Amino acid sequence: MSASEDIVFTCPECGETMVVNPAMQDALLSNGCVVCGASVADDAFEVADAACE
Amino acid sequence: MALEQQTEMSRAETDSVLARNETGVLSLARDDEPYAIPISYGYDAETRTFFLRLVSTPESEKREFLSSSPAVRLVVSEESEPEYRSVVAQGTLREVSTDEMTVERIEQFGDAKRPLFEVWGESKTDLRIQLYELDADDVSGRFIELDPSEYA
Repeated sequence: MSASEDIVFTCPECGETMVVNPAMQDALLSNGCVVCGASVADDAFEVADAACE
Repeated sequence: MALEQQTEMSRAETDSVLARNETGVLSLARDDEPYAIPISYGYDAETRTFFLRLVSTPESEKREFLSSSPAVRLVVSEESEPEYRSVVAQGTLREVSTDEMTVERIEQFGDAKRPLFEVWGESKTDLRIQLYELDADDVSGRFIELDPSEYA
């Protein structure tokens, strides 16, 4: 796993996207989408390795 | 009608009312025109900050008032016969962008009740959801014990 990789969150309900770190990912999984409040599952996150761009 | 006893609540009592409730009425103003809306909130008692998700449609009055009125009041009240409590918070609204998101903010907005998108009758993607923090400069609470004979 590269230290430069970003985690991109996309809310399945409101479509909000944002780059998050692992701690924010955990918080979103526990609290739901910060914008619309919808429940969030693992498949709402995608790893984008900046080193490969 | 008998006199009701009204007393000011302590900070702890006021914070307790705000913590156990999750909805209130937010008042905004533009020039001499008032605007009040029911909202749900999360509350951080330590910093006396409220966390709000405000939903609006493209042409809504709410959107106009939000863009012109950062000074607001929030009223939260509860009634449990024969007691009535109300809290008024006065402060400034500040929009929070997702670029400013932190773990702490995600948790704090997580405490705010999920908006009832169904009431707009539109697709959620047509609605604008804005995140706001209300930094309260002043929070005051009142406790009133109503005349029991009124509930006889």
